[in-house]
Amino acid sequence: MDKLLKKRNPVNTFILVVSILIFSYYVFVSIWPIFFNIYMSLSKTDLMTGWTFVGFKNYLSIFKDPLFLKSLLHNFIYLVVMVSVGIGSSLIIAALIYKTSGFAKKAYIFMFFAPVVTSLVAVSLIWKLLYYPNVGIFAKIISNVLHLAPPLFLADPKTALISIIVMDIWKDTGLRTIILHAGMEEIPESIYDASKIDGATAITNFFRVTIPLLRPQIIFLAAVYSINALRVFTQVYMMTGNPPGGPAHSTQVLVLRMYQEAFYATKFGKGAAIAMVVFILLLGMVILEVKSFQQRWEY
Amino acid sequence: MGILKNGKIMRKRRRLNKYMFIRTMPNVGVHILLIIGSFLMILPFMWMIISSFKPNLDIISVDFRLFSPNWTLDNYKKVISEMPLGRSYFNSLVIATTVTVSTVFSSSAAGFLFSKLKFWGRDALFFLVLGSVMIPPQIVLIPLYLMVSRLHLVNSYPGLIIPFLINAFGVFLMRQFIYGIPTELIEAARVDGASDWKIYFRVILPLVKPAIAVVGILTFLWTYDEFLWPLVVVNKTEMMTLPLVLGRYAMAEGGVVAGASMATTTLVLIPILIVYAFFQRYFVKGISMTGMKG
Repeated sequence: MDKLLKKRNPVNTFILVVSILIFSYYVFVSIWPIFFNIYMSLSKTDLMTGWTFVGFKNYLSIFKDPLFLKSLLHNFIYLVVMVSVGIGSSLIIAALIYKTSGFAKKAYIFMFFAPVVTSLVAVSLIWKLLYYPNVGIFAKIISNVLHLAPPLFLADPKTALISIIVMDIWKDTGLRTIILHAGMEEIPESIYDASKIDGATAITNFFRVTIPLLRPQIIFLAAVYSINALRVFTQVYMMTGNPPGGPAHSTQVLVLRMYQEAFYATKFGKGAAIAMVVFILLLGMVILEVKSFQQRWEY
Repeated sequence: MGILKNGKIMRKRRRLNKYMFIRTMPNVGVHILLIIGSFLMILPFMWMIISSFKPNLDIISVDFRLFSPNWTLDNYKKVISEMPLGRSYFNSLVIATTVTVSTVFSSSAAGFLFSKLKFWGRDALFFLVLGSVMIPPQIVLIPLYLMVSRLHLVNSYPGLIIPFLINAFGVFLMRQFIYGIPTELIEAARVDGASDWKIYFRVILPLVKPAIAVVGILTFLWTYDEFLWPLVVVNKTEMMTLPLVLGRYAMAEGGVVAGASMATTTLVLIPILIVYAFFQRYFVKGISMTGMKG
């Protein structure tokens, strides 16, 4: 008995309290809701009058719904453009900033990062006016300086989605640039010296040395922005007017569809089914990310 | 003869200049490109501020003029009298501050827990935090809304705050940072008889101040900017946050509310831009740190 008492450590209250808090919080805001969401996606309910179990009917109906399929396509376009053009442009800017030094470097980083800290809601409103058809500032610049017929931007179903993506790429340019730039500064100078002896030019250096060595950062950014592209909502809601997702549903996206099905049409089951689709896509994306990270260690 | 000599020197000098030009040209090109880029980054904000002092018809008009002769404060007067701005500022501030304080403490405590302490189920718990990244509030929006409405927390501060109290990103960043603190320091405190609570408050917290600044600033900004969740749980004017006030303009035709909306965005963005100007290095450092994490 004595031995047992001696061996027993006093309970560490810090570990106990913090881990229980974390555990219960995540059960409360993530685990329970996701299971409840699964249950909800199999039901038909408006939260007020009734709640009936309908099996996979919601899923069948969303996959027959052209609006949902359109949203899926739009999210996919968003993802591809955001990741490729977004990371590509930031790579170039990061390489340019890498060449500068001192005050100039600080000033550039300061300016490029400014849109990142500002509010997306506010920035969307500003860009909506910049995009104003025919008499907005972008249209004016295109017609007066470049002497071209300006597109209608957000008012034209053909250009609306891409206009939103351009704004989004603009807003986060600084964020991606700084992450890539920090990665570039980690690359030892000696690698560049070695390749210079081998006769490499700045351009070959960029493609053969810089980009391969930035792989972890590029994968990280690709993962972050593919997840972000799936969650797009605010930009579309703010920039496409009444009802959001227009013109002619050309900017419908998944989260917006979920919001409208649930809170406009009070088809909460259908909304929950759309949420499940987003969740599964997100899960796939995260698994892909983890896999790409593991590959890195094979070097 | 003299002329010839001069010509030779001139030619030599010209050749020298040519080489110098070629050597410095790439850098000049770099700066020109970056200056254009920087200009594109801040142009929309300059345009916003200028427009907020113009009448609607001068912001969006056929004859293009950056500076209007009809300067006016009417937009601001109109916005301040018609929009519940004061109250929304207060709401946004209360919510963002609460979430920030909670996130700073929860993520530093969790970071300490996951990096320096060993206990049964630690990896499972960390996996739970990791997994929560895949379940952002947007995905569980409907069940969360149902929960909040059943708890009668619609249109209340707790309702607006609950989904954001702990932030997985903050936990990762803190864990990474606390990992770097030498374990001997913690062992020494333990030998002196300090409990883990005391170690957390007296050793860990003072040492992670830079990470606290980073997590704090980023959390504050994200919460200040949150749009979808308030849109769902708030329907009373007095509980609106600043993004919701701006959201009202989304439904109106852009040209009609141009002046008013630019005055409001200016009022919303100016505090952020001022804070940014002062704490720039924390923002940049924080972002670089997240990238390192890889």
